[in-house]
Amino acid sequence: MATIIIDGQNYDLPEGAKFNAIQAARHFGIEIPYYCWHPALSVVANCRMCEIEVGSKDASGEIKMLPRLTPGCQTPVRDGTVLVTDSVKVLEHRKNIMELLLINHPLDCPVCDQAGECGLQDYSYSHGRAEHRFVEERNVKPRKEVSDLIVLNTDRCIMCTRCVRFTREITGTAELQVMRRGDHGEIAIFPDHPLDNPLAGNVVDLCPVGALLDKDFLHNQRVWFLSKHDTICTGCSTGCNISSEENAGKVWRHKPRHNPYVNDYWICDEGRYGYKSANAPDLLAGSYILDGGDHHGATSDRFFKRLNEDLTHRILDKQSVLAIFSPFLSVEEAFSAASWVKHLTNRNTMALGPVSVLGQDQTYSPDKLTGRSGDTSFLVPRPFTISAEKSPNKAGVSFVINHFQGSNVVSFEDALKLVPSNPIVIVFGGSPNSDWITPEQSAEIRKAERVILFDTTINVLADAADYVAGMATFAEKAGSYVNRDNRLQHFDAALPLRDGVWTLLDILAILRGVGRSPIESRTILAEAAEKILALAKAVGGQVPEFGLNLTGQDALIPDAGFQDDWTMASLAKA
Amino acid sequence: MAAFEPVLSRNWNNPDILSVKTYESKGGYVGSRKALTTMSPDNVVDLVKASELRGRGGAGFPTGLKWSFLPKDRKETFMCINGDESEPATFNNRYLVEKDPHQFIEGILIGCYATKANTAYVYLRFEYIKAIQILEKAIAEARVAGHLGKNIYGSGFDLEIWCHRGAGAYICGEETGLIESLEGKRGWPRIKPPFPAIEGAFRKPTVVNNIETLACVPHIIERGADWFKSMGTPKSYGPKLYTISGQVNRQVCVELPLGVTTNELLEDHGGGVWKGRKAKAAVPGGISMGLLKKEEFDIPLDFEEIRKTGCLGLGTAAVTIMDDQTRIIDYLYNTTRFFAHESCGQCTPCREGTGWLYKTVSRIRNGGGRTEDLDLMSHLANNMGITPGTTICGLADGAAWPIKNALAKYREELEDFIKHNQNPAYKITAGQDAISRGKSPLASNTSMFVPGIGLAKSLTN
Ligand SMILES: Cc1cc2nc3c(=O)[nH]c(=O)nc-3n(C[C@H](O)[C@H](O)[C@H](O)COP(=O)(O)O)c2cc1C
Ligand code: SF4
Ligand code: SF4
Ligand code: SF4
Ligand code: FES
Repeated sequence: MATIIIDGQNYDLPEGAKFNAIQAARHFGIEIPYYCWHPALSVVANCRMCEIEVGSKDASGEIKMLPRLTPGCQTPVRDGTVLVTDSVKVLEHRKNIMELLLINHPLDCPVCDQAGECGLQDYSYSHGRAEHRFVEERNVKPRKEVSDLIVLNTDRCIMCTRCVRFTREITGTAELQVMRRGDHGEIAIFPDHPLDNPLAGNVVDLCPVGALLDKDFLHNQRVWFLSKHDTICTGCSTGCNISSEENAGKVWRHKPRHNPYVNDYWICDEGRYGYKSANAPDLLAGSYILDGGDHHGATSDRFFKRLNEDLTHRILDKQSVLAIFSPFLSVEEAFSAASWVKHLTNRNTMALGPVSVLGQDQTYSPDKLTGRSGDTSFLVPRPFTISAEKSPNKAGVSFVINHFQGSNVVSFEDALKLVPSNPIVIVFGGSPNSDWITPEQSAEIRKAERVILFDTTINVLADAADYVAGMATFAEKAGSYVNRDNRLQHFDAALPLRDGVWTLLDILAILRGVGRSPIESRTILAEAAEKILALAKAVGGQVPEFGLNLTGQDALIPDAGFQDDWTMASLAKA
Repeated sequence: MAAFEPVLSRNWNNPDILSVKTYESKGGYVGSRKALTTMSPDNVVDLVKASELRGRGGAGFPTGLKWSFLPKDRKETFMCINGDESEPATFNNRYLVEKDPHQFIEGILIGCYATKANTAYVYLRFEYIKAIQILEKAIAEARVAGHLGKNIYGSGFDLEIWCHRGAGAYICGEETGLIESLEGKRGWPRIKPPFPAIEGAFRKPTVVNNIETLACVPHIIERGADWFKSMGTPKSYGPKLYTISGQVNRQVCVELPLGVTTNELLEDHGGGVWKGRKAKAAVPGGISMGLLKKEEFDIPLDFEEIRKTGCLGLGTAAVTIMDDQTRIIDYLYNTTRFFAHESCGQCTPCREGTGWLYKTVSRIRNGGGRTEDLDLMSHLANNMGITPGTTICGLADGAAWPIKNALAKYREELEDFIKHNQNPAYKITAGQDAISRGKSPLASNTSMFVPGIGLAKSLTN
């Protein structure tokens, strides 16, 4: 067992941990402020914010300290390592660094998007000095358009080179570089080579200050007005952990959340900007019944009554049901929907789709060497994949269907061929894209006697179906998805439900006659876990922070959970 | 003690020495032949260790010791020869290459044999076009003559030497900046550990040595460690090329035993101060090393004694003399300008500190100084560099030392200058002045400085 001493206190390092001083201190709740270090990037130790006093304790118990300050990011901890993070020398040094970082800084926080989540603001407040001694002219540096989506304010840059290292070490695309020297240095792109790789947006999150900013978000919201909700990206079957940030009934941006088993610290740009469909103006806003060739809005009471009567009548007539499940449904939605279909009649067929697959999986596999500029001894490189399968829950929905109808899940394409033998077609949608179904496919389904659609967007099938119920979008619902690696992950709702719209869970509860009080997704998951073997690990509907590996055992990751978040970093100590 | 006999510069008067034949006829490549055919690499390392040769590139690190840090089980080793020579007023490396290239090549050959490096890169300063041409020609001749290439002297040892020209950055003289630059990257020094001996060029074990360091090696092989140690002062042995420049009558590069004094250099070799003036101060070994007062001109210029004057070290032994009409503020202006221009910009204290110092010194020089600016400069200088542990490389120490020494040795002159040189055009405003003392003109007990939430907090207090 390795024991280290931080600020005079003994701590036992977790087994297998290869921590630097920042990680070790954070592990025990002690903050060492940092800028240039990032857990997924090589160590270059250029900002000098993380400096502490370092020493070691030998077998005889004698402690020897190094005479000079040492960067914590560059300091490995092992048995006997002594760290001092709170001495006058260390605290004074932090004040000096903060002063130096700000002498050429424009300090235009009132018009800076980063304000409120800025490493300079946070650390000025917690580690800075109240006065500054700089009375010279500040350097003036330009604002640069580095891509259609990202702007670079070089005057706010603190030259931590995180962004540069990201493009070299993670994406391997190397669009960014440093040009010029000394305090005239600037981050730059090569002319006509914009920063436009599929992961480019991550540099905005990596940037500790307001230098790299997202033009899509620029001047839209002050970040302190945003409420953050832990959700899962629905863009592909990777299931990146994201924070969906909302205010005034709109989602304004998606930010990655760290999950070492899934997306590490990143998301792709497609997922980042995937928030937009949550705010789409043309969502299904209520329930509709097709009458005399026209859709008429119906109160929910009327809608459920008519639908129930119609179905009961037809089921008594021994009409069979074809139920189509979208891979955008949550596990809970699929489970409730399948239960309802089963409850209606045993004469049913359950199909899954459409599952859209675009191109190939795109995997970034950083290693310890390629493109790395600094020390990589603390790094545990983790891959990142943008999946070709563009939906979040094919696996979860399959588990459910498998359970209800044995092992053969019918594909969407095969389902279309079954329409003639099934007078009732029920479609449980949920895709944020209104073009999830083509006019031809819609026409095929319309051949059924009764078409019932639960969905979020106005699309060709909604135009044709007999019963259309608007339901909660991906941003308005909570639940869980199972990703490509059979990891079950929970997500919260980001937006409140729009008036006139229900969650699919509530709709199904009413249709099943279970009740009219809002249904908790965790209750449904608990029930599913009891019934479905593949979901058995989700006992009581509980899903841990990094999700549940349904088919295997997770490797232990000692540094898991290190959020690279300035606001948290400074609040941790407060 | 016998009269000093120059060895490094012994052929400098003979222009024919550029040809390999002439160099051989003057006893050249005897040392390398001896090393490669009669000694094992470890023997060579041990001999160099015994000679106590210390690196001539600036830091004075014991060369044999550096070579012995290479991992025993290494498969591939690189030798990088540092000829970036960008320290102002330094030109001994240039003389060594231009005036006797084969002596240098012979040194490389022995150094590479000792360290088992089959590839050597000579990194030459951008401006040294003539030196590169001479060296490349000499390398070609040496290969034809069998001193380079495969199976040299039948010893089984192979060596290729490549010349690489820098692109004009001082920082590429720092050994890891050099390696980065050599690899085709921006010349940003690397953090240590790992040291180059463990992970250097192309992530392989690497030795970085100065040109003069390697030029000493053939002579140590030929004449032995005792001969080498018969010259110099304790812990600083052997011959050394001193350059003398600045306000002197003769600007020269001379070879002398380590430990001569500034006075000897100035009077015996530099021909005294120019224009019949008196000396005021000197830069002992490139401007990074700090400042010597006239009263300190009798201190030996070696690795140890010089430090007792408060200077950083011997550096490159490039002595620059300032006459008694030179103003220390001008000296500071030149040095701060140099370091602000040459800081690579990685480390916050160096990047921002060098620029800040340059701006402050410029303002003082223009007539806008305040006495407390000197305290500010002292605070900045004391907190930048690898000495306090706040930077990656020693450039920041070099930038700090002139400030530290000038403030320690000439504070009165600087205060006087500030008092008597006030120019309203360069004075800072009352508002700026108040802010810098922690007083905002807007709020009585708070600062304008803490951005964002800090400001909000201070306003609600
Ligand atoms: C900013 C800076 C610039 C340097 N420039 C040079 C240089 O131009 N030439 C040189 O030989 N060493 C230079 N050095 C020293 C090298 O880092 C290194 O110590 C030296 O090349 C080692 O060779 P030696 O052991 O033979 O002296 C510089 C160091 C620093 C910090
Ligand atoms: S980067 Fe931070 S400190 Fe700078 S202007 Fe923006 S919010 Fe303010
Ligand atoms: S732009 Fe941001 S991430 Fe890039 S070097 Fe500057 S501060 Fe760091
Ligand atoms: S000390 Fe200065 S020159 Fe050296 S690496 Fe840091 S910023 Fe660059
Ligand atoms: S975080 Fe350690 S030096 Fe920047």
